[in-house]
Amino acid sequence: MRAFNAELSKLFSLPGIWLAFLIGAFAPAVIAALDSMAQKEEIIAGVSTRLSEVGYIGLALGVQGVIILGVLAVSSEYLTESSESGGGQQITTSLTVVSSRLHFLLAKAGAVTVISILLSVVAIMTTVSATHLVLGEYTPAFEWPKLLGAVCFWAFTALLAFGITVLTKHGMIPLAVLIINTSFVSFSFLLSKVTKLALYLPDRAGFEMFMFLSNRFLTPFTGGLVMFAWVVVLFIAAAIVFHRRDVAS
Amino acid sequence: MLTFNNLVKHRGTQEILSGISFKARPGRVTGFLGPNGAGKSSTLRILLGLDRATSGNALIDGKPFAELHNPLTTVGAALDGSGAHRMRTGRAHLLWMAHAAGLSRSRVEEVLDIVGLTNAAGKRVGKYSLGMGRRLGMAAALLGDPKILVLDEPVNGLDPEGIRWIRTFLRERAASGNTVLLSSHLMGELAETVDDVVIIHHGKIVADGTLEEVIGNHSTLEEAFFALTSGLAGDVV
Repeated sequence: MRAFNAELSKLFSLPGIWLAFLIGAFAPAVIAALDSMAQKEEIIAGVSTRLSEVGYIGLALGVQGVIILGVLAVSSEYLTESSESGGGQQITTSLTVVSSRLHFLLAKAGAVTVISILLSVVAIMTTVSATHLVLGEYTPAFEWPKLLGAVCFWAFTALLAFGITVLTKHGMIPLAVLIINTSFVSFSFLLSKVTKLALYLPDRAGFEMFMFLSNRFLTPFTGGLVMFAWVVVLFIAAAIVFHRRDVAS
Repeated sequence: MLTFNNLVKHRGTQEILSGISFKARPGRVTGFLGPNGAGKSSTLRILLGLDRATSGNALIDGKPFAELHNPLTTVGAALDGSGAHRMRTGRAHLLWMAHAAGLSRSRVEEVLDIVGLTNAAGKRVGKYSLGMGRRLGMAAALLGDPKILVLDEPVNGLDPEGIRWIRTFLRERAASGNTVLLSSHLMGELAETVDDVVIIHHGKIVADGTLEEVIGNHSTLEEAFFALTSGLAGDVV
C-alpha cells in the first residue's frame, strides 16, 4: 500500500501527467462533438447507420490521455539526467526504496489503473455532455454496460501502454505506435482485412465492449476478456524481463 | 555491516568483477577506491539489488537487499546524480520516497535542512547544479535515518565547502556507530575521511585494510594507490 501511495505521489508530481489528464478529459468530448455535428442531420432524419456509436466514438479514439499516462509512468523512471548532473536515473532510487521488483511493478500498475478509471469517468461525463449539447433531444441513450465497457477499455489500454514501456524502457516508440494506432491508422483494422485473427488483437477486441453492433464478432464480455488476457500476458512478460534486468544495462 | 562474498559479474563476454570480497564495518568509514571503470559502481549496484551478480553475494546485515522489509530505514544510498526526475521539485522527490517508506512529511523538511537545500526545495531538479543534485541524493539517502550509508562518488561535483561538509558529516555518522561505505577515485579527498580502505583494480581487490595498513611504507594514500594499481605490487593485499 505504501508503494502504491508513492506511485500516486510520483504521478501527480510529474508535470507531463497533467497533459495526459487534459487530453484524457477533453479529447473524447471534442471527437464525440465533431462526430455528432457531422451526422446530426442524418440522426434527425432517422437514417443514421452509426447511431449506436454516437459519443462512444470519442471514447474509443480519445484514449491518448491514458496512453500517455501508462507510458510516462514507466519512461519517467528511465529518463537519464544530463551528464553534467551526474547522469542518474530515477529507477535506481525507486528500486532502493522498494526492495521487491514485482511489488514495485504492481504498485505502479495499480496507480496507473486507478487514475485511468477516474480519468475515464471524467471523460464519459464530458463526452455525454458534449453529445447532449450538439444533439439535444436526439441524443441516443447511453447504456451503463457500454459505459462500463469504455471504462475497462481505458484501463486496459493504459496497462498495455505501461507493459510495452517496461519492455522498451523508453517512451517514444510505444507512444508513437499506440497513438498512431488509435488516432490515424488502426493496425488491427488493416490486418483484419487480411486475417480474421486480427479481430482478436487487443484494441479491436476491446472495442467490442462498447462499440459495433452491426459487425459484431465477439460478445462485449468476450471482447473484454480477450483484451484483458492481452494485458495479463504482457504484464507477465514485462514482470519477467523487469525482474531479470540489470538497472545498469 | 556490509559483507561482499566472492562477487563475480560478467557482462557479455567481459568479466567486470572477479571475486570481490570485503567487509564494511559499523562505526567505520570504509573507502572503496579505484580508477574509473574498475568495478566500484557495479559492486555497489549489486549490493543494492540493482544489478545481479553472476555468482557470489553481497549482504546487508546478513541479508540480501531483496529481503529487506523497508530498505530505506536500513540502508541509504546515493548513486549517480540526484536519482530524481528532472521535472519534479526536490521536495516532491523526497515526498514520494517518504510515502514509500511510511515516513512523515516533517522528516522530508528535516533532511532538506540537514543537506542545506531548504531554499531550493521548491525548484525543479533539472535546474539544480551538480552539487545541489548530489545534496538531494544525500538527503534521499538520509531520509529513513538508516544505520548504513552507501555513497557512490559522494564528493564529485561538490565545492570545497560541500566536500568539507560531507567529510564532517560522514565522520559523525560513523562516530555514532553507523556503517559508511563510499566509493571514490579521488584519493586526496578520501584520505582525510576514511578509516578503512579497499582498493579495486580491473575488477579485483588489490588492497584491503585500515588506512595506515594500506598506506604502509608509502608517503600518502595516493602514492600507495598508484603503486598498487600500476602493476607494482604493494605490500598489503
